[in-house]
Amino acid sequence: MSDETLPQPQEPPAAPAGPYVYDYAASPQRQIVLPKTVPLPSLITFLAEQKAAAEADEAKWLKQLADFEVAKAKAEAEGKDAPKPPVRAVPRKDDNDLKTPWPQEAKDADLLHLQDCLGGKVEEIFEQAGELTCQVSKESILEALLLCRQDAELNYEMLADQTATHYPAATGFAFSVVYHLTSISRRKRLRLRILVPEGFVPESACAVYPSANWMEREIYDMLGIRFANHPDMTRILCPEDWEGHPLRKDYPTVGLGQRDISFREDRGGRLELIAMQKAGQLGINLKQPKAE
Amino acid sequence: MFKNEEMEINLGPQHPSTHGVLRVKLRLDGETITHCRPMIGYLHRGVEKICENQTFFQGQVWTDRMDYCSAVANNLGWAEANEKLFGITVPRRAQYIRTMLNEFNRLASHLIWLATHALDIGAMTVFLYAFREREDILDMNEAFCGSRLTTTAFRIGGLREDLPPGFEKLVTKFLAKFPSCLEEYENLLSENRIWKKRTVGVAKLSAEDAIALGVTGPVLRAAGVPYDIRKAFPYAAYAEMDFEVPTKTEADTYARYLVRMEEMRQSARIIQQCMDGMPEGPVMAKLPKILRAEVNEVYHATEAPKGEIGYYLVGEKGSGNPYRFHVRAPGFINLQALPKMAEGGLIADIVAAIGTLDIVLGEIDR
Repeated sequence: MSDETLPQPQEPPAAPAGPYVYDYAASPQRQIVLPKTVPLPSLITFLAEQKAAAEADEAKWLKQLADFEVAKAKAEAEGKDAPKPPVRAVPRKDDNDLKTPWPQEAKDADLLHLQDCLGGKVEEIFEQAGELTCQVSKESILEALLLCRQDAELNYEMLADQTATHYPAATGFAFSVVYHLTSISRRKRLRLRILVPEGFVPESACAVYPSANWMEREIYDMLGIRFANHPDMTRILCPEDWEGHPLRKDYPTVGLGQRDISFREDRGGRLELIAMQKAGQLGINLKQPKAE
Repeated sequence: MFKNEEMEINLGPQHPSTHGVLRVKLRLDGETITHCRPMIGYLHRGVEKICENQTFFQGQVWTDRMDYCSAVANNLGWAEANEKLFGITVPRRAQYIRTMLNEFNRLASHLIWLATHALDIGAMTVFLYAFREREDILDMNEAFCGSRLTTTAFRIGGLREDLPPGFEKLVTKFLAKFPSCLEEYENLLSENRIWKKRTVGVAKLSAEDAIALGVTGPVLRAAGVPYDIRKAFPYAAYAEMDFEVPTKTEADTYARYLVRMEEMRQSARIIQQCMDGMPEGPVMAKLPKILRAEVNEVYHATEAPKGEIGYYLVGEKGSGNPYRFHVRAPGFINLQALPKMAEGGLIADIVAAIGTLDIVLGEIDR
């Protein structure tokens, strides 16, 4: 092996001058792969995708048939044997117990009742995996919650859970906020959903369901969505002076500060340089005396 | 000489009765609490963020470490949420074993609640008795899955292994002696004058307030609302089990104690039925090695010993990781009710209020 193929020793990167403050935005360790898709369950999207896939499949099959006709005519003209006719591919069937629950048209009385009462404010209703989902416009969430709480036919007494999801790849919105309502008397569950763009301040659910208090604080803490008319919009899990909102998809999974550089990754001797520099600032001589 | 002003004190974060690192800011007028504000987050580890960056299978070990007193119940909710997301039907035998282990876990969790709650209030003896029986349950956990506390008991689609040989003997032995053990605890506490003085009428929470604040579990049932997810939305094998949902209407600490004691009796009944009706067959569904999701979202709630534990999962097409992993921890929501229960009461009773909520800070902070 010649010397040229060997990896050349590289100059270690220069350590930052002065007191060591980690620039977390410019960190080489900040490897964030932002999601490229928008996995927002929806019957409308699902049907559109199904239709597009079926059309693509049909077009492929027609092209195969046309190709076959051309090949057949060519073979006849040349006096050769006719080629085999094409066989339409059947989707592969896996031998396992998975039965993916696809979105289905809403048939449940609660969803239809919600649509009747709210009219155009309902953006979408569908069922999936036995769960009811109703997406309403972001301005009318409080109205929808009030209806669910007070309507005698709906009577959802408890807000069991409220949370949000970040969709950085979406256009027109950045977050979905979901409300999981439970009706104890009727033994039913319902999911309300709103789509919120960055910076939008949806109405707080605390006036209707006091249990939303801490859940909305958690959403603000973790995803940075503020809620209007909330009694106490402060962070709950992270310290008050925390930077950023951890459950956003653009938030790094490596730690802030010095934990960003792991010793395993420290190939360039960067940590040692930093330690030397810090020691120098403190007036400590860490350098080994050279052997005479 | 006596100043007429309110005093602010901190309970915790390192207080032995707060079951973890909970800090409660209290404002006192004499000995009466006028304002109470729980401050949490000292144990925040970012479980949701971690699980979003791991495969569907890897999330389970984190659910063990949320509520470490009821790891099996957390595992069950997690496994069933994933099964709902992928549309997996679990074999019947696996359902029965899951139900049985879940009820054992309820016993263990209630025993640790009884032990520490009594210890907080000042009854030392019960602590030792309750831990004796809990030890037997942990031994059974060890026999089943090799670990005692952080069990990682289930898999998506069923169980990794069937019950070990000789497990039935352990169960029969335990069930034979457990009713007498319960009587032993009740003899120590139920008619104990000091216990009753510390618990009757303390930390009341009415049914309306409990529902408005989202409180679930024994705290809600002690207020007279018979809401138990095992009955209301049956999962695992609970639809086939015959058991009662104990309720009380007093809504105080003593009523919650009675409800939990009765729940332990019902759990023992369910375990007996699981053992008697245990079906034969496989314990694992047929699954591909790597699970790839479709676009889907599920919220699946189960009845953990402390209340409703819900998992909210969002699947991304073709991805092996959950796009969003959210846990509705029962302790997190139940702790919201602490100011309502403690304000207006005496400072000595806040220890009873924290104990009766049965919180574990590991799941509150996640």
